[in-house]
Amino acid sequence: MNEKKDSKDPFDEQIEQLTPDDLQKALQVFEQKIDHKYAAHLNSCVHCGLCADVCHYYLTYKDLQSIPAYKLSLVIGVFKKYFSFSGKAIPRWVGAKTLDKDMVKEWIDSLFGRCSLCGRCAINCSIGLNIPYLIRTARSALAAIGLVPPGLQSTVNTAIEKGNNMGIAKEDWLETVEWVEEELQDDIDDRNAVLPLDKKGAKYFYTINPREAMFFPLSIQAVGKIFHAAGESWTFSSDNYDVTNYGLYNGDDEAAGIMSDRLVRSMKELGCNTLVLAECGHGFNSNRWEAPEWLSKKYGFEVRSILEVVAGFIRDGKIKLDPAKNQDLITLHDPCNLVRLGGIVEEQRYILKHAAANFIEMIPNRQKNFCCGGGGGQLSMTRFSERRLKVGKIKSDQIQKTGAKIVASPCHNCIDQLMELNKHYKLNVQIKTVCEIAADALVI
Amino acid sequence: MQTVLKSGVLISMVFSAVTLTILVLKTFSFGKKKLYAEPTGDIKKGITYAFTKGMMPWEKESAGSHLPTYICGMFYHTGIFLALFYIFVVIIPITLPDIAILIFQVFCLSAFVSGIVLLIKRLLTPYMRELSCPDDIAANIIVDIYLVLAFVHTFFPGITTYFYLTAIIMFAYIPLGKIRHCFFFFYIRILFGIFYGRRGVFPTRSKIDET
Repeated sequence: MNEKKDSKDPFDEQIEQLTPDDLQKALQVFEQKIDHKYAAHLNSCVHCGLCADVCHYYLTYKDLQSIPAYKLSLVIGVFKKYFSFSGKAIPRWVGAKTLDKDMVKEWIDSLFGRCSLCGRCAINCSIGLNIPYLIRTARSALAAIGLVPPGLQSTVNTAIEKGNNMGIAKEDWLETVEWVEEELQDDIDDRNAVLPLDKKGAKYFYTINPREAMFFPLSIQAVGKIFHAAGESWTFSSDNYDVTNYGLYNGDDEAAGIMSDRLVRSMKELGCNTLVLAECGHGFNSNRWEAPEWLSKKYGFEVRSILEVVAGFIRDGKIKLDPAKNQDLITLHDPCNLVRLGGIVEEQRYILKHAAANFIEMIPNRQKNFCCGGGGGQLSMTRFSERRLKVGKIKSDQIQKTGAKIVASPCHNCIDQLMELNKHYKLNVQIKTVCEIAADALVI
Repeated sequence: MQTVLKSGVLISMVFSAVTLTILVLKTFSFGKKKLYAEPTGDIKKGITYAFTKGMMPWEKESAGSHLPTYICGMFYHTGIFLALFYIFVVIIPITLPDIAILIFQVFCLSAFVSGIVLLIKRLLTPYMRELSCPDDIAANIIVDIYLVLAFVHTFFPGITTYFYLTAIIMFAYIPLGKIRHCFFFFYIRILFGIFYGRRGVFPTRSKIDET
C-alpha cells in the first residue's frame, strides 16, 4: 500500500471529516492515558532545546518540527489547554494549544512521522522527561478516532484478526516448522533435532517474529539448533507464536493487550516456565515491560529475551561456541526497545564475544545508540518511508565507520530497516541475528 | 512599609508552596497506576543514578556536547537556590559571616550572568526562539532581576524594598509558569530513576560474570 500524500488520500479526507465529537473523544482518551507520572512530565518541559541534536530526525533535517521538545510541545500544549489552570487562563503565554484539525494533522505528521519512539531524547532531557511515552499518549488519542496511519493500523488489524502480524495461515506456519525442522536435521545430521510444537510442560515457550517464518526461516533454525545443543526442553505454539505487538506503536492499549494475552494464555495452557521472546526489540519491550500493565496483571512466570537464555546456556556450559567459526569482522546494532528501553545490554555482547573472533563496537553504543530509523512503526508507515531512509543515514554512517562485514542485530524490525539501508547506502554488509551468529559457532 | 512587604513576601511564598503542592497533588488526580511487570534492576540505584552520574556531562551526551550551556545551567540553578535562601537571611534577619557573603556574591553574580547568557542564547538561536513561548522569556527575566537584586542587596541593603517586591512577583509567578520546574524537577528525576532503574537500563549493569 502506498500511503504517499496526494489530494485524494482517504486518510487525509478522514482528517478533514473530523467532527467536534471526534476531537472530544480524542481528548477523553488522551486524558485517560495520562496518569500521575505523565501529568508531572507534562508540567515540566523547560524548552531548553538540548534534546535537539540527540534526535536522528533533527540531525538529519535540522528543522524545528524534528526537535523532540517541539514534538512534545504539541502534546504539552494540548494538555495545558484542557487540563491546566494556566493553560486555560493565559493560553498564549504558556504555549497552550487547541486540539483542532490542524493540530491533529500536526500530531500525525510529527508524532507518527517524525518520531521512532527510540527514547534517545528522554535520556538526554535536562529534566528527564519520558518523551516517547508522552508521545505515545497522543498516538493513543489518535488511535481512538481512527487516525493511525493506515500501514501501521493494518499491521495491528492483521495481527488481531489473523493471530499474527503477517497473516500467516496456521497450515503454512505448521508446514514452515516442519520444513525448518528437516533443514535443521540435515544441517547437523541428527534426526533427534526437533522443533517441538505445543509440547506441554516444556521449560521454554519460544515466540518468533512472523517475518522469520515468512522470509527468514534460518533464524528459526538457528534458535532450534541452540536449544537442541543445550538439550533444553522448549516449544513453539501452533497458534500463538507472534512476539510482535504493534499496539505499542499505534497506542491502542486494548489491541496491544489482546495480542500479548494470547502468549500468556498459551503459556498457561502448555504449562511452560519461561516465555522466551525472539530477537525483536519492540516485542521485548511490549511483552516484558508493557503487557503486564496493559493487562493489569502480574504474569507469574518469567519473561526473558532469547539473548538472556542463550547467554545463560553459554555461561552454564550448556553450549560451547567456537569463535574461530566466525572470522569476519562483526559489529552490533543496539535496538532501542531492547537496550535503552528494555535493559538487555550486555547479553548480546557476551554471546558475540564467545561466537565471533573479531568484534567491533559502533560509536555510540549500548543505551546511547542511535535508532536505525525503523522503530516506532516507521517500517509500516510507507507515507513516511522517505524520511525513514534519510534518518537512517546516521546508522549507516556508524556501520561504515566500523569497517565490519557483518552487522548483528537482535531485532527483526531493525534488520528490515538495516537491509534497506544496506541497499540504499551501498554498505555491502551482511545482516544477521545474534542467534544466527551463535548457531554458526556452535560446537556440536 | 518594610513590614508590609515582608508579609507580602511570606504570603507570596506560602501561595507558591501551596499552589505547587496542589499542582503536584493534581497530577495524582489523573490516577496512579500500579506497576505489574517484575523489575529487573534496582529502583533505588536508578534514582541515585538519576541525581548523580545521570546528570554528568560525560554520561549525558546533550550536556557534554553543550558544555557552556550545561555549566551556565549549573551556575544558574545553584545561584537561584542560594538566592532563595538569601531572602530568608534578609527577612529573619540572619547575620552571615563575611566569607559566606562573599561565596554567595560569587554564585549569585555567576547565576545572573548565566541567566543572561541563557536568555541571549534563547533569543538568538533560531530554533530556541521558535520553541519558546512568552513564559520562557518572562520566567528568565523575573529570576534574573531577582538574582541581580539579591546580589546588589549584599552591598546596598537600602534596596530591600525592591528586592522584596521582586521576590513577591517571583514567588507568585512560580506556580503559573515554567519556574514550577524548580519543584517538578526533583519529582521527574525520581520518576526517571524508577523507570530506568526497574528496567535495569540505568545504572548500566556490569558485564556478565563468567563464573
